[in-house]
Amino acid sequence: MTLKVIEEGALPRGRAFLTFSPRSLLPAIPLLLILGYFFLFPISRLVYVSFLSNDHTFTLSNFETAFKEPYKTGFLNSIKIGLLSAAIAAFPGAIAAYFIESRGPSKLRRTIAVMSGVLANTGGVPLAFMFTAAIGLQGQLTKILKAAGWDIYSGHFSLGTFQGLLVVYLYFQLPLMIIVFSPAIVSLRKEWAEAARNLGANQFNYWRRIGVPLLFPSFIASFLLLFASGFSAYATANALTVGNLPLTPLQIGGLLDGNVSAQQLNLGKALGVVMIVISAMAVIPYLIIQRRAARWQQR
Amino acid sequence: MSSKSLTLRNISKKFGSVLALDNFNLEVGVGELVALLGPSGCGKTTALRVVAGLENQDSGKVLVGETDLSQTPAHKRNMGMVFQAYSLFPNLTVEENVTFGLQMRKVSKHLRKKKAEELLELVGLPTHSQRFTFQLSGGQQQRVALARALAFEPEILLLDEPLSALDAQVRVNLREEIRRLQLSLGTTTLFVTHDQEEAMAISDRVGVMSHGKLEQIDTPDTLYNKPATSFVASFVGTMNYIPAELKDGHVEIFGKKIPALKNANAAGAVFALIRPESISVNSDSRDHNAKVLTRLFMGPSSNIVCQTNDGTIIQSLMSSIETGDLHPGSTVKLEVLNKEVLVSNA
Amino acid sequence: MATAMKRRLDAPLIITLFVLSLFVFAPMISAFEYSVRTPLKGGYGWDQYTWALKEEEFLHYLLRSGWLAAVTVLITLLVLVPTLTWLHLSQSKVRPLIDGLALLPLVIPVVAFAVGAQISFPEVMQNTVFELPFLYFILALPYAYRSLDIGLNAIPLKTLTEAARSAGANWFWTINSIIIPVIRGAVMATVALTFALSLGEYTLTVLLHWDTFPTWITYVAQDNILGAIAISMMSLIIPFLILTGITLVIPERSAKGRK
Repeated sequence: MTLKVIEEGALPRGRAFLTFSPRSLLPAIPLLLILGYFFLFPISRLVYVSFLSNDHTFTLSNFETAFKEPYKTGFLNSIKIGLLSAAIAAFPGAIAAYFIESRGPSKLRRTIAVMSGVLANTGGVPLAFMFTAAIGLQGQLTKILKAAGWDIYSGHFSLGTFQGLLVVYLYFQLPLMIIVFSPAIVSLRKEWAEAARNLGANQFNYWRRIGVPLLFPSFIASFLLLFASGFSAYATANALTVGNLPLTPLQIGGLLDGNVSAQQLNLGKALGVVMIVISAMAVIPYLIIQRRAARWQQR
Repeated sequence: MSSKSLTLRNISKKFGSVLALDNFNLEVGVGELVALLGPSGCGKTTALRVVAGLENQDSGKVLVGETDLSQTPAHKRNMGMVFQAYSLFPNLTVEENVTFGLQMRKVSKHLRKKKAEELLELVGLPTHSQRFTFQLSGGQQQRVALARALAFEPEILLLDEPLSALDAQVRVNLREEIRRLQLSLGTTTLFVTHDQEEAMAISDRVGVMSHGKLEQIDTPDTLYNKPATSFVASFVGTMNYIPAELKDGHVEIFGKKIPALKNANAAGAVFALIRPESISVNSDSRDHNAKVLTRLFMGPSSNIVCQTNDGTIIQSLMSSIETGDLHPGSTVKLEVLNKEVLVSNA
Repeated sequence: MATAMKRRLDAPLIITLFVLSLFVFAPMISAFEYSVRTPLKGGYGWDQYTWALKEEEFLHYLLRSGWLAAVTVLITLLVLVPTLTWLHLSQSKVRPLIDGLALLPLVIPVVAFAVGAQISFPEVMQNTVFELPFLYFILALPYAYRSLDIGLNAIPLKTLTEAARSAGANWFWTINSIIIPVIRGAVMATVALTFALSLGEYTLTVLLHWDTFPTWITYVAQDNILGAIAISMMSLIIPFLILTGITLVIPERSAKGRK
């Protein structure tokens, strides 16, 4: 047989391993270059510098400080606001997504998709304005609610506190939930609901055995993404609080500004790295779950 | 549970301004397999879905046996249904899919497992019980769907174009299995399809539908040989329309006088409706009356397309052996083999 | 429920929409009301808006942000459309890798990215068109990539390309005149979201001390809160109206024959 191969030439066979011959990658090179230089490089540098002391020697001291006060509270607060804003927005967002996607006419669904896109990206100063105007001390809604008998400022509430920020975060978390969760709803085939009914399942049984089990992973994944969104938010927190609420993004911002003089030059980098790790712990499972759910979501 | 008869009485259904079913009536006898055949939009799927309770009719009744099910919700109708595709629950194994109906009826786990084994054996997938939908081929999925529909021994079996999404060979095999199963279980079955070969092959009776109405319902033989309307004639199989003169109850075709089947509407200039296999093509005899245009070789048989002297295009279906010597341009003699012909108005 | 679920405006949907609208529009309307107040004259007026529009810095920063956003969109389309087309056509084995890389920016919080960016690029590049749009591109990448990916999935790409190429078209012409028109919806969505993201990007921009429209709004707020509110309102509502208008006007390409 070897003779035959030598005479006639080996038949072309698919390779069993990844080949990275330059030619085969050519069209992807622009993307890879940009990704490499403008993304992978800064992140790598961030990680590298986070381990450097002021004298450019290797140290873990940046990270040690990162886990002490006030940064420890910063992390706890950021994680808390991420979890809470995700938890509060997740279920209503899922319900809203369900009704919109399953009953809405096409034009409505597309309009809401666009609206959600804009709202999910709303933040910072514009958002702070809107809420101050609405439920600030002199806000319109504040006055209306007061007239109706509910003084929202009777307790410790204020927009610049944790609770206040949480309420404002919901404004972009809810639309984000709708955006992220809607594809899962869309993928619920009408045939499954009909087959279930035909086989004797009422609405409750359908949801219990088919609907909810199918949607649950995507729901969890969406929750994770919302957590990352709330955890990492900077602009809105910066606009509403005046430095009284320790939050990691704000603390990093402060260090970047040079407002806070730190003995450790690279403390901000360490904080950034920890932020990345925490965010990754949510976003990577999100991506994995979405990939697996895509199996039955193929349309 | 022994099967019952299925009756649709005066069913009408509108979708917006479109009349999908127009005073539709149908009776399926106990243990019968009736196919509803027709082009897209003829209302056949709507009729099936009304029976299943997935659509509400505007007027009319659905009866199983003597019981009026018109007001009964879909999940209480006790009918097994097989959808065209994608109907298996993706989060459940094959076994869980098959026993879903039994689970809804609160059958014990032990009995459910037994029934699943039995049915999977019946549909030829005994080793697949723990697989998931995405691990199955299209044909396998439909077998599971069939098993699932039959698991709780329904009185009525409904099939909504179950083979349309499958490859040709799989389709042929699976339709035979469906018929075999249906006969052995004796389940009253309503089968919707747009493929007339499929319908004719496995049904006791076939109902041809058009625009929400039943054009004709008969055994496949009758439907084929005695189509009641020209729609049925051209939808079921191929038909030649040969212009002729109806005189004294006879038409003259290719020099032969053939009695015409009684048709109250037809008179004077008519079309004689003749199936391709009833026209013989002969190159031996001497008086030729047509010229061969093409010969389409289809394996055991060939389609010979000819043109007569007055320009009519005629199709003939003959065995390939008999027509091996024919080629475009050959002159031939066409002859009608029928003892009597159908006629319709020009 | 005896009928199949149809697309209709029934009670649960209407209630959902009502509650959502309250939630979404209440703060917007409150802020809008603020912005049309005229404290000096009493009553309402468009004073703040006319002031904003007359401010020369308004146009300057708006154009600056618009320019940066436009460059970002250009980079996005120029890089992603050919790359994704190639990935789809060639069934290359590196595709999962690139799919993964494109989603990676989601993992990194923008604040952390800002820190990394601050220490990575030479001074000469900072605050120029050679840095910002590329960073915006990275931020928008997961969404733009997915949007174009889905668009390309929905078309018979191989068939179209082979038809064009066998008729003699080169790659440039094929992509430009055949593929992009067919995935027009996805391209428009990508342009819209990339543009909106770049125009409104605040965190990265402000942490790296650049000046764009969003950072200018913050600056204005220090002196003229009502004016800043007016500007914010415009920056929210105008893109919103434009995007909604575009979406409603473009007919949706629907797959025929789907039950």
